Amino acid sequence: MAHSKVPERTSGDTKVYSYLAEYPTPQALIEACKAVRDAGYKKWDAYSPFPVHGIDPAMGIRPTILPWIVLGAGLTGMLLGLVMQIGLNAFDYPWIISGKPLWSVPAFVPVAFETTILLSALTTFGGCLVLNNLPDLYHPLFKKKRFAKATDDKFFISIESDDKLFDEQKTKSLLERTHPTALETVEDDRKVNSALPRPIVYGLLIATFLSFVPMARIAQARYTKTTDPRFNLVSNMDYQEKYKSQRGTSFFADKRTMRPPIPGTVAQDTLALDDRYSRGVEPGTNDKFISDFPPQFSVNAGAMQRGRERFEIYCAPCHGLAGYGDGMVARRAEELAEGTWVAPTSLHEPRLANEPLGYFYNVISNGVRNMPGYASQVTEEDRWLIVLYLRALQRSQAGSVDDVPADQRGALR
Amino acid sequence: MNGPTLVELPKDNYSFGAAGKRLTTIGAVVGVLALSGAAAMGAAADDHLGRFLHAYLLAFYYVLTVALGCLFFVGIQYLFRAGWSVTVRRLAELGAGTLPALAILALPIIVATAMGNHTLYTWTDHEVVKQSHLLEHKAPYLNLNFFLVRCVAYFGIWALLSWFFLSRSTKQDASGDPKLTRSMEIVSGPATILFALTLTFASIDLIMSLAPTWFSTMIGVYFFAGAATSSLSFLILFAMALQKSGRMVNVLNTEHYHDLGKLLFGFTFFWSYVCFSQFMLIWYANIPEETEFYLHRFQGPWLAFSWFLLLGHWAFPMAGLLSRHVKRNRKALAFFAVWLLVMHYVDIAWYVLPTVGGHDAHGIPFGPMEVLCWVGMIGVFLAVVGFLGSRRSLVPLKDPRVTEALQFENI
Ligand code: HEC
Repeated sequence: MAHSKVPERTSGDTKVYSYLAEYPTPQALIEACKAVRDAGYKKWDAYSPFPVHGIDPAMGIRPTILPWIVLGAGLTGMLLGLVMQIGLNAFDYPWIISGKPLWSVPAFVPVAFETTILLSALTTFGGCLVLNNLPDLYHPLFKKKRFAKATDDKFFISIESDDKLFDEQKTKSLLERTHPTALETVEDDRKVNSALPRPIVYGLLIATFLSFVPMARIAQARYTKTTDPRFNLVSNMDYQEKYKSQRGTSFFADKRTMRPPIPGTVAQDTLALDDRYSRGVEPGTNDKFISDFPPQFSVNAGAMQRGRERFEIYCAPCHGLAGYGDGMVARRAEELAEGTWVAPTSLHEPRLANEPLGYFYNVISNGVRNMPGYASQVTEEDRWLIVLYLRALQRSQAGSVDDVPADQRGALR
Repeated sequence: MNGPTLVELPKDNYSFGAAGKRLTTIGAVVGVLALSGAAAMGAAADDHLGRFLHAYLLAFYYVLTVALGCLFFVGIQYLFRAGWSVTVRRLAELGAGTLPALAILALPIIVATAMGNHTLYTWTDHEVVKQSHLLEHKAPYLNLNFFLVRCVAYFGIWALLSWFFLSRSTKQDASGDPKLTRSMEIVSGPATILFALTLTFASIDLIMSLAPTWFSTMIGVYFFAGAATSSLSFLILFAMALQKSGRMVNVLNTEHYHDLGKLLFGFTFFWSYVCFSQFMLIWYANIPEETEFYLHRFQGPWLAFSWFLLLGHWAFPMAGLLSRHVKRNRKALAFFAVWLLVMHYVDIAWYVLPTVGGHDAHGIPFGPMEVLCWVGMIGVFLAVVGFLGSRRSLVPLKDPRVTEALQFENI
């Protein structure tokens, strides 16, 4: 090798890195390891193409502390998972999910479990690397042709010159006594070769620098205003190829995506020819509400029962089971006190007692002021049933002793 | 290296011999006395045998799951062509070998139910079914005739499989024919599938239907986890007891116990995983038919009982078995094996006892009758193990993989 190319390599006398002994079988390796271990060496290692049973005690390797590190990481992961969820769900953005309390430990367990596993696994992986001094980009043993066999069918021991007991003569004779098939001196050329190649260093520096750019862009976007449209990384997520209501299209002649019904079509079951039954008004009028049930509707105990069920399903959440406007939704809204809430009307307001039946039918069908209509959910038949029950409910709050049959009045009080 | 060198089994004591016979006698006597004592107490009580049948089912299901866990253990060793476990496998074969006898022990439950005793399975009562839409809906599955057919199928399959493995493996002790191993490997795949199906449906029939309106799709895997932990505990303790008495001393060592311990640790955690998953899904969905089961177990004395089950079957043994030093220390491992065998009883009791005498029962119905059933059932189980064990070697003598087991080492 020419002096001018790699001057450091031959300048001065080369240091010995280690003695490398080669063995033909794992058994021979184990025996040799025992000899080196008993001689008291500390800085040495055995190399084999596959894990050899019993090598740990033969080399005198003490158990690793990795399990303890992993245990700590696992517990940290669990704690982090719990704190994150409790912080987010119970304090930062309190949100009741599925009717559970804000602090619901069972709901937090799966995530805490995952973070436990995640941190344990990553720590095991990272810990293995760090405890084994990896990644190690260069090792003097790589210079030895023979050493390549350590990945194939030969077994090696290398005693390093850094060891306190290392002595050129004694160490050599110790290894000779273990019957190696070859014994070599390994030179220490790490000074020359262990430095990272320049291009990689520059590459890493530039990459590190560039990695700040996206962050900076995000930070900038957060604190500045712009009239430009949003920056789209995955644009077909925002602009999907499909028709949405109120959008235009070039496909149809009238350029509307929402298709009007073909003239003359009548949807099934909604012919609504009978104004009394379907709209609750006198035929041909719009606001003359009927005050009796329409003739095709019959009042009986079964009707009352179903009317009650429908009321408790569709109305009670807001108006309350007894109709005083204190349903679960109303109470919750009041608790939140957000100021935009209009309380559901009490159905026992005197004004409502005098409204005709058709009026209530109309409220259920089309809603009133802030209350939405329920025509899409509740059939016409069921709307009349609700009206029936609602009337009964109103009457029930205006009862007196006279309502009780004479022969049962004695049982009162 | 041209394949492993064949190692002869070291000279050792591989026979259960007189001790096995003594175990048979003592176990049988204790079993018969305790079970008939419990039955007498049950007959004296004025509840149509309700409490006795529950106590009996509890104890029966306890040993049944241990035996089934052993069957599973044998099956997967062949399925994975495992070498390390060959020297403990016979003990599991013996545990599974009790299954034909357990089929007979199931008779009191099945016959009482077939003869019209509704105290255990209320869904066999037509009046009860008529009052519940849910039960009417389930009637095509939950009816007496189909139940009986299924019971015959479960116990038939289990008896057949356990007998298959035990007899083939014993045959190999004499002939050393590797074809026997091959045939068991072939059967082990379908056997494991059958095991999964039968254990799942048996858990549904025998345990889940105690609360007939309740349902959980995880019940099968739940009791699979219990069967695995309890049978591994049994294997560990059985092996230790045999070694202590000077048997098979040179074929089992710390490495084997370490591996059994690892499995025990893994399945303890698996149990917790399944147990929690079952709870969380039901808790979250909050559907009345499902929640009722837990609600009942979270009230009165049952709340403390539930906590004990959770901490005792999960937190304590899991923390304890985590370290490799514990798994390699015989005394510590034995302690956790005993502990988990007790917790397995607590686990099944948590399912069975709250349904004694309907839902308004106060307190936990645990007393001398339950203890007698438990002791008696274990007695019969050990008697059968002793009987089978004293008729064959305790270690497969000529298994082609016995070498691997002898040289086995954890890294
Ligand atoms: C989502 C909550 C909610 C539900 C559900 C609801 N309502 Fe209302 N309802 C209201 C609110 C709010 C008002 C008062 C509206 C306002 O004053 O702007 C109201 C008002 C009314 C009134 C009084 C109309 C008037 O003239 O003042 C009647 C009657 C009524 N609802 C009946 C019903 C019936 C019957 C149902 C069941 C089909 C029902 N509501 C379901 C919220 C609800």
